Amino acid sequence: MLNRIDRLARVAVVVAAAALVSATSSFAYEGGAVSGGGTIKGMVKLNGTAPEPEVLDVNKDKKVCAVTEKKSNELVVGSNGGIRYAVVSLTNISKGKAFPEGESVLDQEGCEYLPYVTVVAQDHELVIKNSDGILHNIHTYSEKNKPVNRAQPKFKKKIKETFSEPEMIKVTCDVHGWMRGWVAVADHPYYAVTDENGAFELTDVPAGDYEIKVWQEKLGESTQKVSVPGGGEATVTFELAQK
Amino acid sequence: MSKADEEKKSYASVFLLAVALLLVTSVWIVWDDQISRRPWKKYQYEFSQTQIERAKAEVSAEEERLGADEEYQKVLADLEAARDKTTSGATASQLSELASKENKARVAFDDAEFNLRLVKSQIEEAWYELEHAQLAHADTTSQRAHLDELNAKKAEVEEEVAETLARLNQILSEQDEIRSVVDSLEKKKEELEGAKSRLEQKVDGMVIQVGPFDFPKIPKIEQVVLNEFDRNAYNQPVARVDRCTSCHAGINKDGFEDLPNPYKTHPDRRLYLGKHAAEKVGCTPCHQGQGAAVNSAEQAHGHVKYWLDPMYEGDNVQASCIGCHADVRMDAAEKIALGEKLFEQVGCIGCHLVEGYGDLPKIGPYLGRISAKVDADWLVDWVKNPHEYRPRTKMPNFYFDGDEAEAIAGYLLSASADESEAWLGEHDLPSGIDSGNAALVAEGERLVDSLGCRGCHGLAPGESPALLGEGKDIAPNLSNIAEKTNARWAYHWVKDPRGYSPVARMPSLRLSDQEAKAIVSYLMTLGEAATDDSATRARLLEADNVVIGEALVRKYGCAGCHNVPGMESESRIGVELSVFGSKPLEELFFGNRTDIPHTWEDWTFNKINEPRIYETERIEQVMPHFALAESDIDAILTFLASRQEGYVPKEYRPSDYDNEVTLVEGRRVIERYNCVGCHVVSGRGGAILAHYEENPTLGPPILTGEGAKVQANWLYGFLQRPVPLRPWLEVRMPTFGLSDEETAAIVNYFAAEEKIDNPYVHVDLASLSPEYVEAGELLASDDYFSCWTCHQQGDRKPEGPKEGWAPDLAMAYERLNPNWIVDWIKDPQALMPGSRMPSFYDFTDDSPDGPDDVLGGSDLEQVKALRDYILTLHAPTGAVAQPAVATDAEESAPEPAEMPSEETAAADSSAASEAQG
Repeated sequence: MLNRIDRLARVAVVVAAAALVSATSSFAYEGGAVSGGGTIKGMVKLNGTAPEPEVLDVNKDKKVCAVTEKKSNELVVGSNGGIRYAVVSLTNISKGKAFPEGESVLDQEGCEYLPYVTVVAQDHELVIKNSDGILHNIHTYSEKNKPVNRAQPKFKKKIKETFSEPEMIKVTCDVHGWMRGWVAVADHPYYAVTDENGAFELTDVPAGDYEIKVWQEKLGESTQKVSVPGGGEATVTFELAQK
Repeated sequence: MSKADEEKKSYASVFLLAVALLLVTSVWIVWDDQISRRPWKKYQYEFSQTQIERAKAEVSAEEERLGADEEYQKVLADLEAARDKTTSGATASQLSELASKENKARVAFDDAEFNLRLVKSQIEEAWYELEHAQLAHADTTSQRAHLDELNAKKAEVEEEVAETLARLNQILSEQDEIRSVVDSLEKKKEELEGAKSRLEQKVDGMVIQVGPFDFPKIPKIEQVVLNEFDRNAYNQPVARVDRCTSCHAGINKDGFEDLPNPYKTHPDRRLYLGKHAAEKVGCTPCHQGQGAAVNSAEQAHGHVKYWLDPMYEGDNVQASCIGCHADVRMDAAEKIALGEKLFEQVGCIGCHLVEGYGDLPKIGPYLGRISAKVDADWLVDWVKNPHEYRPRTKMPNFYFDGDEAEAIAGYLLSASADESEAWLGEHDLPSGIDSGNAALVAEGERLVDSLGCRGCHGLAPGESPALLGEGKDIAPNLSNIAEKTNARWAYHWVKDPRGYSPVARMPSLRLSDQEAKAIVSYLMTLGEAATDDSATRARLLEADNVVIGEALVRKYGCAGCHNVPGMESESRIGVELSVFGSKPLEELFFGNRTDIPHTWEDWTFNKINEPRIYETERIEQVMPHFALAESDIDAILTFLASRQEGYVPKEYRPSDYDNEVTLVEGRRVIERYNCVGCHVVSGRGGAILAHYEENPTLGPPILTGEGAKVQANWLYGFLQRPVPLRPWLEVRMPTFGLSDEETAAIVNYFAAEEKIDNPYVHVDLASLSPEYVEAGELLASDDYFSCWTCHQQGDRKPEGPKEGWAPDLAMAYERLNPNWIVDWIKDPQALMPGSRMPSFYDFTDDSPDGPDDVLGGSDLEQVKALRDYILTLHAPTGAVAQPAVATDAEESAPEPAEMPSEETAAADSSAASEAQG
């Protein structure tokens, strides 16, 4: 009798879970093979004059941290006016290519976060490395995800963290006050971080109309509409201004 | 009239009339007794009907759901099919064959079992024969042979029983197997119908079933008896009876929130009735009214003449909270909590005695040396109407005219002249205060901004970091301070407030001379500087003026709030308000006012709002005008309503009443010195943190949970003589000059907040395991956790700027509770969200996080080792036991000694871990 109830209960849980999955699946991203997809290419530019990046005061663990001069990455503008480290993403895509294979890695090297902006898929592990061999800590300032503040002493070369909600998360190190980086938690694979010329590229986008968004930590967000032709290429240029 | 006529006369009509009357009267009696005077029956009946209707609707909704539920329909169909199968066709014949087999097998089994019983009793008999023969010393050979024979037979029969039983079981299980399909489907059906049958049972519980019909239950009086709750006229305990739920039938049932009164669910049922079981506490202890009355709503609610406790209206019901609870700073009692706070802190207690509030310190500043402090012109204006100079001051307006204000100022200057002279003689104006020196003024402003002054004082007009209620400042706004006083006084005041006023609430910030000069230079730029007041002083000090002033100061009761020289033994001038809430309307004087409704609430609200409102030509009133916000008046009114005759017996009060008293006593001190201007205490306060939004770690520390964190003995010492704990902070913990009683009240408050019975801790360093201390040292080193990258240890300072530092671990031995250290290292974010201290371990899973080569890789043991090591950092030399010479491998890693606090304070440590958990 008890066994039977137990079995029924288990069935009920499975049924309920399946129902929940099917109910939420309409919001969740569905990844698979994309044939005849197009490409979005573009650039994020600064509208205005580029400020001189602040030189950071490296005042601790200098042997490891002060090997090279460090400058703030808050707003890095290339010679062509392109903004580096802006995050470009589609906002309304529910079906497309699969998340790329391989893990997302955030390294702490020379008391800097490398890369400055790391993209990680939601519910996937972010591998956080400590290549410095000194104590660092990962202190996240997130609102949708629970903030974490984890120590990473030298003997811990690698720790892992997962984030369940898409969000731009600031990461700092309380041991080294100048360290600062960002983690972009992505709900689909169409995320790109601009390079030193402000350029980005999103590939294998199923043909269709989308909204595309850019985020920059100092300059905020901006969106545009974009039409992606099957097998073709769409171009988007964002211009952000200092507030 | 003749006799014959008399006999002929018929009385039929009279009898008929009488019978009709009797009938009508009887009907009326029954009607009146059962219906007219039982209004609650109608309410209860109507509520029952609604309740039944809704329950039935739920049943049919559930039926409908099942009707549409595919799974259920499939089970029904399958079940029917399975049943059909067992009643016809091959399966049916198989079943009937099995049934006849079962019968036969059962008979065989029963026979065998009967035989077994028979043989067993034969054996008993044989034993008897054998023992009997033995006792008679006869030959027992035949008896023994018989017994052996029977035993052999028993074994045979037992075998037969087993065989027949196995056969029967075999048949039964064959049957079960065939029937199991039906059984499991039936079970499933039952399970799917679970919600429906529960709902049906609910309906059954509500109705009386008569054949196919059901009726609501016959209404009856519902009552709660509170034994020995009240006292009669002879002060003997008597019961209180509440019958409120006879009409308010849905008050403690969910799902009737949409109904009107008296049917609806309690608007905050979970909170109020969840914490106060209605079946024990009833209704009137909170709501008042005449609980036993059921004849009419007016009577039950106490809205009848001479009933002294009519029901509270609206939020005023919170007045009852304070009848049972000492501490009313809790959820859903905000109004009474505010009312009590305002009553204590706005100054009401200066003139009005209220039992339990009679011994609180005076709220106004010390006037013994007022002449040395203020500008005479300012003083006259201030006395005349303080709200003009400071709209949010607690000092009320007495509506004095110019002459009266001059007379009072004159008396105050004259009475404080000697003391002031003496004080001035010892407190010169130092050189180096210069409000014209921009750099010095800027430095002063920076100090005021960073040292913590803004936790209490507003510096711009209208700015207030510490509001009392809606519209009163706890500490004065300093935006026009230069009009009021002078640099000489201000310098000595900021350096040592208690040096000027023995009752000063303003603490000392331990300012250096230079800091004080800069601050005063800055303060003296705020407002227009006072001009020469010597002419005014001379005029005010004229003897006639002073005499008039003395009489006025006495008449208006200034000594209620201030220490007025020469009036040390004055008593309160207002009426006692200890039982003001019970005051009948007849005793409230409305003067000539006909425009104010004659209710207790209206009288009281208007009295506080406009204190002289009931004044007549013959009756003078002296209560001053506090200019309170309406919401604050309302809160005070609720507090006054709570001042009732009688008291609630101990057994009806909260079980932790004593703890509440400790909280109240501590909070009074915490609020008197406005600790909450800078610190968050029990989740409230910390106004100054608004200036540290960019970097909260540079603001004053949050003290929620402090009782579990620090040792009481350390906290006591720290409060009396603060030392800098966090060298990166510019904001400075001041020295308050707390008395022993005040200090103890604060220490006890923090312990009570965490429900710690014994907050004292002694760490016996000799009992620490040297191996653990060593392991801890290793863990803290740069090879592992690198604690010293941020933490200081005495003179050993970390690298980098101060704002990156963390507290001095050498203080842990004296300061921290060892249990707290463990909890803290385990999960700092849980104890202080947003803390810069990272977690080195994750105890939410079983995987080890620490290095695997220390203490066998056990996270918990490593945390304990860190604790033990940290505790030794400030240890006197030799206090730590030296590592013992290990004789074998096992002894080299003994269990760590338990912390003394864990042993000696077993009770509080469990409470502490609960509070922290």
